[in-house]
Amino acid sequence: MSGGANLLYMLSDSLRCARENVMTAVLTAFTIGFSLAIFAIFLFVSINLNGFISTWGDKTHVVVYVKDNVASDPEKFGESLKRVPGVNSFTYISREAALKELRDELKGHESILEGVDTNLLPASFEIKLGSAYRDSDRVRGVADNLKRLPWVDEVQYSREWVEKFASLIRFMELAALVIGVFLAAATVFIVSNTVRLAVYARREEIEIMRLIGASDTYVKVPFFMEGVMQGVVGGLISFAVLAVGRYLMLDNVPQYFRFALDVPFPAPAVFSVLVLSGVLMGVAGSLVTVGRFLKT
Amino acid sequence: MIQMFHVSKSYEGSAPALSDITLNVPKGEFLFITGPSGAGKSTLLKIMFGSEAPTDGQIIIDGRNYVKIPPADLPGLRRRIGFVFQDFKLLPGKSVFENVALALKVMGVGPGDIKARVNRMLSYVKLQHRANFKPLSLSGGEQQRVAIARALVKDPAIILADEPTGNLDPALSNEIMELFKEVNNRGTTVVVATHDRRLIDLFGRRTVMLEGGRIAGQ
Repeated sequence: MSGGANLLYMLSDSLRCARENVMTAVLTAFTIGFSLAIFAIFLFVSINLNGFISTWGDKTHVVVYVKDNVASDPEKFGESLKRVPGVNSFTYISREAALKELRDELKGHESILEGVDTNLLPASFEIKLGSAYRDSDRVRGVADNLKRLPWVDEVQYSREWVEKFASLIRFMELAALVIGVFLAAATVFIVSNTVRLAVYARREEIEIMRLIGASDTYVKVPFFMEGVMQGVVGGLISFAVLAVGRYLMLDNVPQYFRFALDVPFPAPAVFSVLVLSGVLMGVAGSLVTVGRFLKT
Repeated sequence: MIQMFHVSKSYEGSAPALSDITLNVPKGEFLFITGPSGAGKSTLLKIMFGSEAPTDGQIIIDGRNYVKIPPADLPGLRRRIGFVFQDFKLLPGKSVFENVALALKVMGVGPGDIKARVNRMLSYVKLQHRANFKPLSLSGGEQQRVAIARALVKDPAIILADEPTGNLDPALSNEIMELFKEVNNRGTTVVVATHDRRLIDLFGRRTVMLEGGRIAGQ
């Protein structure tokens, strides 16, 4: 008896099975591929949005507008700002500077500002908060303290919507996880059903092989190999779907939203993980079914 | 070669298929097991083959206790036994050659060796000219000869045959039994279950009579 010959027979049996069940094998590979691609899209977009949110979180700043009817004394105002806990640094923006900023932003459309009173925009302070004061409760606390200053007209801060957006992202992450688990389970279910059909089609052969002394391993290997092949092809399909999908979408997505299409990991790593996940799904589906069949 | 001690087999919700069977089949013997339908002939053979476990009792095949054998060792033991079925159990999609070769493939025999042994066995059962045919294009007798070739090609110590002539006419049945006789003459232990009294009388070998799952006479 030779182990080499045995392996050779098992591999040639695997290829023969794959040829005989080429349609179901292709369908299974596509199921694996699209499931993985959908999961990866959810994962990547939520990672990208999360990255976007953390960058914005770092940029959290508070703007304090100076009342119109008080004499402008930036130095005095600055002194009082320094005494408010949480204020790390600040920049004074005079009415003139604010108007200039607006003019710059409206470049090409300056006519809009023709005849506009230069006193239209209030002077303001852009305040950066200390890192310990960036969660929404503390930002609100700092804002409340700033509002109490006699020269302050209005306080605006960006943290609130960032927080809301962040909770949306957390929801998306959870959704990605739930969808991922469901897709993985559904894929293993579909794969195992496909294999069940293949096992059913070959049940007579399997029964005869066992009766003439084939070991369980001998019977299982072709299905295992089929699972591996379907998984590899499924992984390749998912990578192709992601790559082509991204390429097609890049030109159709507004510039400001393109960050969502970034690939947060190096392409070879994405490729390897997709193929490996496909193989795991294919093999799990195959072995679960054949194992159950052999027990009967 | 085959020793059974107080072997019983019962299935849930039905009468015992076998009760208290004690039987000794020495090496090289040709034994008939007979009895009416439902007497327990097939169950007895399945227990000898290890595809059914006895509910009670012990069975020793070729020196090994079947009841205590771990499932993983079962394929190894089955390779020492050739089983011939009434319905042949040939794979319709494979050629005669491939059907016979399968028995050697699952044992991991090398391709060159397989070719030589299968061809030798096909000429032994006089089917070499049918090597590339699919089983369904052969007559019933030829199909059973393929099944016998598959059972014999691995040089088993024991041949078990369950109603091997059940689907064949008397002339073909005689032909198949002659083949078993030849195999037995080469030293292989042969156990044939049949309800065909004519064959038993014709070949005149030791016969165990089963009735209602019990040995009714030897």
